[in-house]
Amino acid sequence: MDVILEQYFDLSLMAEHFDDVLAGFWITIKLSVVAGVLALFWGLVLALLRQLPGKPLMPVRFLTIAYIDVFRGIPLLMIILLVSGSLPFLPIPESIAIPRWFGQPDTFWYGVIALTITYGAYMAEVYRSGIEGVPGGQMEAARSLGMNHRQAMRNVIVPQAVRRVIPPLLNDYIALMKDTTLVSVIALNEAALVGRDVQSSLFNSSALTLGAIMFLVVTLPLARFVDRQIAREHRRFSRGAPRVETG
Amino acid sequence: MDESGHGGPLLRLKGVHKRFGDLEVLRGIDLDVKGGEVICVIGASGSGKSTLLRCINLLEPPDEGDIYLEGRSICKGADARSGEAGWELDYVRQRVGIVFQQFNLFPHRTALQNVTMAPQRVLGRGREEARSRAVELLERVGLGDKFDQYPERLSGGQQQRVAIARALAMDPHVMLFDEVTSALDPELVKEVLDVIRELADEGMTMVIVTHEMNFARDLADQIVFLEEGVILEQGPPAAVLDNPREERTKRFLGLVLEH
Amino acid sequence: MGNSRLTALLAALALCAIALFAAGCGDDDDDGAGGGDGGGGQTLTVGSDVPYPPFEQFGESKTEFTGFDVELVEAVAEKLGREAKFVDTSFDTIFRDLAQGKFDMVASATTITPEREKTVDFSDPYYLAEQAILVKEGSDVKSAEDLADMTVGVQQGTTGQEYVEEETEAGEVRPYPEGPDMVTPLRGGTIDAAVLDIPVAEKLAESQPGIEVSAEIKTGEEYGLVVQQGEEDLLDEVNEALQEIKDDGTLNDLYEKWLEVEAPQELLSATHEAS
Repeated sequence: MDVILEQYFDLSLMAEHFDDVLAGFWITIKLSVVAGVLALFWGLVLALLRQLPGKPLMPVRFLTIAYIDVFRGIPLLMIILLVSGSLPFLPIPESIAIPRWFGQPDTFWYGVIALTITYGAYMAEVYRSGIEGVPGGQMEAARSLGMNHRQAMRNVIVPQAVRRVIPPLLNDYIALMKDTTLVSVIALNEAALVGRDVQSSLFNSSALTLGAIMFLVVTLPLARFVDRQIAREHRRFSRGAPRVETG
Repeated sequence: MDESGHGGPLLRLKGVHKRFGDLEVLRGIDLDVKGGEVICVIGASGSGKSTLLRCINLLEPPDEGDIYLEGRSICKGADARSGEAGWELDYVRQRVGIVFQQFNLFPHRTALQNVTMAPQRVLGRGREEARSRAVELLERVGLGDKFDQYPERLSGGQQQRVAIARALAMDPHVMLFDEVTSALDPELVKEVLDVIRELADEGMTMVIVTHEMNFARDLADQIVFLEEGVILEQGPPAAVLDNPREERTKRFLGLVLEH
Repeated sequence: MGNSRLTALLAALALCAIALFAAGCGDDDDDGAGGGDGGGGQTLTVGSDVPYPPFEQFGESKTEFTGFDVELVEAVAEKLGREAKFVDTSFDTIFRDLAQGKFDMVASATTITPEREKTVDFSDPYYLAEQAILVKEGSDVKSAEDLADMTVGVQQGTTGQEYVEEETEAGEVRPYPEGPDMVTPLRGGTIDAAVLDIPVAEKLAESQPGIEVSAEIKTGEEYGLVVQQGEEDLLDEVNEALQEIKDDGTLNDLYEKWLEVEAPQELLSATHEAS
């Protein structure tokens, strides 16, 4: 037991390396926010592409489904390695192959790309269940009023769909945030890598524990927020037949 | 062929068939609706009444036969205009309004926004114009004080009246009502029927699917009895309701009127 | 599914979970048979981070190891009358594992440093370490000064990392899990240079196209074998064995076989005082 306390909960060591771990965690936050926002958009785009109606658009639907299947089927770690390993060698301008935008190193952007293209696929499926969960009568009413498919989606279906799936989307976001630690494999100095760095030079894992605590500081409130959203949704929009009140 | 004064019926169905998989729901419907007429369609569940309405506004395109709206055919294939995919949909939906049994109001928008959405997005009307028209319509259906309410706060009867106002906002030439009071508590039915009655008095062409026989008797110019996908009997209320010719009509009416 | 089948399935799942938990208790890549009972018996269990050629690398298969360190330890073990058994362990947890008694010794191209001596004991040195700068062919980086403002790759937890971080003005230091992980980034241009032990760098430059060694950095470091603090007897035995190996020419043979140079004279008489 003492060994555990000393190895993982050495408070003076945590204090000594607090700034380093915090700096690493700050990169974690930046990575999660950028990739998370992009994934949320990309997922919605994929979900909308997936259900475009009509025969001539079948190739679009097919390609979108294929994309979603592929990127839900390959582990994120491999995608990170494949992206970072291949991009510098592609025949594209160096500013894209080795991106150093907004002062963040290429490893940061490879992480963003990998996280976005993977989590976009997961979120697309979440959006899809939201869209399919909107009662069919909504689309009928919108179309009967003369709206075309795009207008109906934009004004009637998607607003309702998104509201429904905010809890699972937030859960996916929390998962994404934790998965940013995988980007350490290409030597991005996020929280996990910093922790392991300290561990390998000082043979003590307390910096890792500190990093884990920082994660909890963010993920715990998010998880409670998700719970409250779910409770709110249950009270608000009813499904199926409308509630009939007197008055 | 122009829209007004073409001389024929406003709405004409000829030989309309509709199948869902193996089940043929409409098996040859012929129906004429003149401008200003009120047609009430009655029949048992499963007889095809809803499907009939949904064919008229092309929510379910017919498999066979044709439908003419103000003289123009709206069924693809019947008219050799292959290059203009979709013109029929716009044409129909801007002239035919429909009110559903389940109201289908947009829950994330207020009553007013429900009514202004389509005129703004589809007809391109300006905000002010759409708003004032919507207020006018909501007042006409008796909901002038409720336009900032969300549907979840309105009673069933109020929601249905908003749905009617919403359909009217598109200035339709024909209104379709699909059992619009069947989902309402009995005490809320009257307020909706009153609104429909007023519309009829103002000369709106209507096809109404309903179980409310007394209402139908009062309002209808023609009663159409639909049974297993065909029109079994058709005529003025006095004829069909009081002196039905067909056995099955008699039986149906016996079942319905006795409750 | 009947009740008994469901129970059987749950039991199987629980068993798998327990097995995984037990196996994964350290976060190290335990490829060899884990010894764990340090100190007693015939087997000398040795932790090492494989691969790090030419010091430790895979042999014919993934469970056989070979290299400078491996053969050195085998020679030492023979002198002790014991059999050496290697355990592949990630470098960044190797000292912790040693402290917890997972093996008797660590032989992993480990530089003797005062920092490390706070928690472990080193044998006499068996290798003089120098770092090399590995670059993409045609690069302008030719010295430690040239590393200023550059993005430099290092292996996590090594003295190469320490050197770059403390003795150079490098712009960004990127710690990679393994030396070979730096080859693709070098060739792709995402890092400007890598700093590694000379033999490792030379091996990589030899076997991988497009990269070359551009400079050497003399750091005066020495490699030693590592034992748990307090294991005086073992340490004495190991040092005795090492001296014999130096005296009878075995060390020189190893140098020539794996490093293609002669063992430096100063090394053959170097000793190290445990602190």
